[in-house]
Amino acid sequence: MLEESSFEPKIIAFCCNWCSYAGADLAGGMRLKYSSTIRPIRVMCSGRISPHFIIKAFQEGADGVLVTGCHIGDCHYMKGNYITAKRVAILRELFNFIGISPERLRLEWVAASEGDKFARVADEFTEKIKTLGPSSIKNISFNK
Amino acid sequence: MNYTTIPTTCAYCGCGCEILFEVLDGELVGTIPSKANPINHGSLCIKGWTAHEFVVSEKRLKSPLIRKNGEFKEATWDEALNLVSSTLKEIKETSGPDSLACLSSAKCTNEENYLMQKVMRAVVGTNNVDHCARL
Amino acid sequence: MEALKNEVETLLREGTISAFLGMKLIKGQSIPFLFTHPDDLEQLTIGEARYPLAKIILIAHKYPDHHLGIMVRGCDEKALIELYRNKQLDRCKLVPMGVACSGELAEKCNCSKPYPSQFIVGEAREISFDRAILEKIESLPLDERFGYWINQLGKCIKCYGCRNICPVCFCEVCTLEDAPLIPLGKIPPEVPAFHLSRAFHMAGRCIDCGLCEEGCPVDIPLRTLYRKVREIVQELFDYLPGEDKEVVAPLQILGDGSFEITEGNP
Repeated sequence: MLEESSFEPKIIAFCCNWCSYAGADLAGGMRLKYSSTIRPIRVMCSGRISPHFIIKAFQEGADGVLVTGCHIGDCHYMKGNYITAKRVAILRELFNFIGISPERLRLEWVAASEGDKFARVADEFTEKIKTLGPSSIKNISFNK
Repeated sequence: MNYTTIPTTCAYCGCGCEILFEVLDGELVGTIPSKANPINHGSLCIKGWTAHEFVVSEKRLKSPLIRKNGEFKEATWDEALNLVSSTLKEIKETSGPDSLACLSSAKCTNEENYLMQKVMRAVVGTNNVDHCARL
Repeated sequence: MEALKNEVETLLREGTISAFLGMKLIKGQSIPFLFTHPDDLEQLTIGEARYPLAKIILIAHKYPDHHLGIMVRGCDEKALIELYRNKQLDRCKLVPMGVACSGELAEKCNCSKPYPSQFIVGEAREISFDRAILEKIESLPLDERFGYWINQLGKCIKCYGCRNICPVCFCEVCTLEDAPLIPLGKIPPEVPAFHLSRAFHMAGRCIDCGLCEEGCPVDIPLRTLYRKVREIVQELFDYLPGEDKEVVAPLQILGDGSFEITEGNP
């Protein structure tokens, strides 16, 4: 129990410039408190998020990865987020097969006006990662 | 239009995996592992997979090179061998035969390696013989 | 066998094809060879060794105006279909000669369809798809599954054999050689990122030919991993690579937005 409360997860949040990053920014503007475990990385579109970024994030020690983007139909580049959903769906199943909990990877559509949603998702996801514990990739002896 | 594969042995290490060199229009373009050989059973290491690269590499030496005034200049075999033997003789006389050593290679044939160690032991007079596999 | 020789000879003499990519028998070994002259056909063979002819035929890029014949097994045909789909080969310029695999080879390869849609040698057989290893892994609890895979992937010596021999891997610049993703000089290479990256690339492309696992010097269960990826893609997108249909692979296009992942992703 003591171990769990001292575990501060590292969560990488990929945010698209037009919607979700603006939403995260709004959360700040509204002075909403959310978990400091979130480390945002801004990309122009969620479709830019190569599955290799996500894989690399876990390889480098992320305990969780949050992929955020515009709602379907609202993508600034029309269709970028269509492929994001496909990629994340495949990756989750692949992680599950390898033995990494699929719940460590989450996809969420956050609009620019949804500052409160961003904060809520950040907190929910942090709680979830805390219960899952640190990622076991960090302990692999081969990588050291 | 000519394409063929040529079964041969990888030159890199002592395993001796069988490879197929891919030759397209007279040019060596690739390597595939041979599936017929019980040594490697259709697998190769990274060196085997790129065994064709050194053969056609532009970096391959085309003539002996001697460093003159800080720059490599092309030389003849006689010039180069004379320089090597005179320098080795000089070092052997001033500092003794054990101040010399040789590093041989798995890329050489067994016969070439035999000659190398024979030169070092019988001609130079030292036991300082080593091989890249030990590194 | 004679049927194949005669067919190829006819096509060469008529000029329908400039050359035929098949297997040549020399000194008891069968190796890939491009037959350009009917006289060479003395040594034409089928052989029991499986080489990725569908990959070797990419030499056609050097001769875009020539028609070429190629010997195809069941797996070669699927590979060719994927290469057509990815615009790596021109269907109109290839004349496939189908060959059905022998019972021994089909068993050895654990192949579900060891014959192409049309063939002139051999007979069609069905081998039941063996899902036992997949089931065994799926039945393990999550951390044991992780331990299993890390042990297996930790054997990797980064020979790139799986990628080099794969008939549907045609990229000239490979992600697995990208230094920021996969740092140079590390053996075993980034466990599990190296193999996860490759596995993701196989999504919508792997035809389950098994050449990767055959070519792995350290016996990593690669085919099991990629078979799972195939199942994932089939389940999510109802798409199976290697089928001769006028469709695009799910990851080849952005899509129409109809594929939705549940928000909150339970």
